Amino acid sequence: MILDQLILPWLLAWLMAGLGAYLVAVLDRLMASGSAQVGSVWLAPLASAAWLMTQQATTTEAPDAPAWRLAPALYLALAAIGLALVPWSPTLVGVDLSTSLVLWGSLEALATVVIFLHGWSANSHLALIGAYRYVALGLSYLLISMFVLIGVALPAESLRLTEVVAAQASLWHVVSQPLGLPLFLVVGLGLTFWGPLNLADSADLSGGTAVERSGPPRLVWALARAAMLVAFSAIAATAFLGGWMGPWLPGPAWLLIKSLAVLVVLLWLGRRLPRLAPERCLTLMWVVLLPLSFVDLIWAGAVALWMA
Amino acid sequence: MTPSPATHIAFVVLAALAVLSGWRVFCTDSMVRASFFLLLSFIAVGGIMILLTAEYLGVAMFFMMAVEMMVMALFMVMFMMNPAGLNPMKMVHQERVAIVAGVAVFGVLSAVAVLGDFPDMPLPAEHAPVISLGRELLGDSMLIFETAGVVLLTTMVGVVVLSSRHGRYGRADEGSIPPGLEPGGEPAGQPKESEEEKGEEGGHAHQHHH
Amino acid sequence: MTLTTLLVLAAALIGIGFYGALSQQSFVMLMMGLELMLNGAMLAAVAFWAYSGAGAPEGQLLTIVIMAVMAIEMALGFALVVAVFRAKQADTTEALSELKQ
Repeated sequence: MILDQLILPWLLAWLMAGLGAYLVAVLDRLMASGSAQVGSVWLAPLASAAWLMTQQATTTEAPDAPAWRLAPALYLALAAIGLALVPWSPTLVGVDLSTSLVLWGSLEALATVVIFLHGWSANSHLALIGAYRYVALGLSYLLISMFVLIGVALPAESLRLTEVVAAQASLWHVVSQPLGLPLFLVVGLGLTFWGPLNLADSADLSGGTAVERSGPPRLVWALARAAMLVAFSAIAATAFLGGWMGPWLPGPAWLLIKSLAVLVVLLWLGRRLPRLAPERCLTLMWVVLLPLSFVDLIWAGAVALWMA
Repeated sequence: MTPSPATHIAFVVLAALAVLSGWRVFCTDSMVRASFFLLLSFIAVGGIMILLTAEYLGVAMFFMMAVEMMVMALFMVMFMMNPAGLNPMKMVHQERVAIVAGVAVFGVLSAVAVLGDFPDMPLPAEHAPVISLGRELLGDSMLIFETAGVVLLTTMVGVVVLSSRHGRYGRADEGSIPPGLEPGGEPAGQPKESEEEKGEEGGHAHQHHH
Repeated sequence: MTLTTLLVLAAALIGIGFYGALSQQSFVMLMMGLELMLNGAMLAAVAFWAYSGAGAPEGQLLTIVIMAVMAIEMALGFALVVAVFRAKQADTTEALSELKQ
């Protein structure tokens, strides 16, 4: 009981988080082709991580001590909980909660709190602006993600991720709900503030919520963002690309391939999409993407009724 | 339902966390910290709900309260002069009465809990709490659920009306002068006379963003 | 984890919340006291559902209704606080003494 309820989810989540974050760093460097590369692509992330580990962790004049220390670790913990929810095969699931889809949604809500704490606790103005910016945007990401995930749960008649996968036996949701995956990818880029949607830790705030960070905590924060991106690709592969399903290969292998494909698409989008000003981004989310997620939900309901 | 030892340990830890963080809400120096302590208390109670197999309610607690407390923390920063807790803060009145009343409420309610004779009808061995909740929400109790939805919609309309500065005929507080911060003082939050005329054109466009 | 321990825990949360609602001067802190009381009420509802309601779905429904009440309380509370602040620059209960006369 202890083995499969405590140790297995722990191992699955941390393996995915550690290896995944490393993979994100490598892939991102591979995609930055054209710019001059220093050293090997495979060793460079490890080298910069080791460099950060040796640096001193500076602190601000009067930070909110508990939140300042805990925020990066909490974000990493949220990513790990998300990774533990992913079903690798009908039987190999880290945490098989009957409401795992809703738990994923609440991780997104808690991420808003953690990112706000990360920026607020530094007690420095640029970090605080980054935190406020994220809260304003984060609420709109949350709503879009909720509607898209409800659409996925409708045909499965369940909030359990294993049953969401089982419901895609005949047709993957990426085909039957064409709006779902693109919207979910936008939410993924937003929640990890990656690429064009990096408005919380952006360069115009000279690093945003992480402006005062240095040394090991900065490494943990970067690791947490990368692990969250991996968790997003694994959940997207589960909810839209049929999870473990596929011919010839065993289930876990298919899930890995699909998550990797989503991860590559996310990183490529992060490199190619244009940046938006925060206020325009907010308008885009509420005026364009949120109504689109309503359309997705109505479409999903109609298809589920028609297929039933 | 026979809980395992692990469930008991988890319950004790979560119960201690819920009470401690609930108590810290009212004796911390920072309002933002207070609202996140309250969130911690809610999360602990949500965890206990999951232990009681109310899996949907426990998880719903997480996301409902995460968003609510986030909004609360933002309001804290807007209203409070000391959001970051750099100075000690204690803003209480009638404290002794309140402590006595709080202890009395706890005493009476726990006496009911200890002495009361409640029916012993545990959960059936095989039941699906999420499915039964879903069937109840959109079955027998649909009217109640829909009423809650309509009340929420009414609240949204009411809140927008209450907090909007703009009416159909322009600004609701046009020409009014806010009272001073102390009796007989300068009007609070008003620009100086000369600045007011300059700021008038830009003022309308800015209001929409709030 | 028995019905009695769960109810005592709920009573403790309600007691702390009652203290907060009575003693805090700031509107927002006062609302936190109310929320803590509702937190205890939700826990008691789920405890009764699990131990002496035989899993009747109405018990879970009651908790959902309390959650809706919390959302309404917060939204209306903040709207009123904003309106009062605009009218009187007041953010504590002492500053509103007009009904005393």
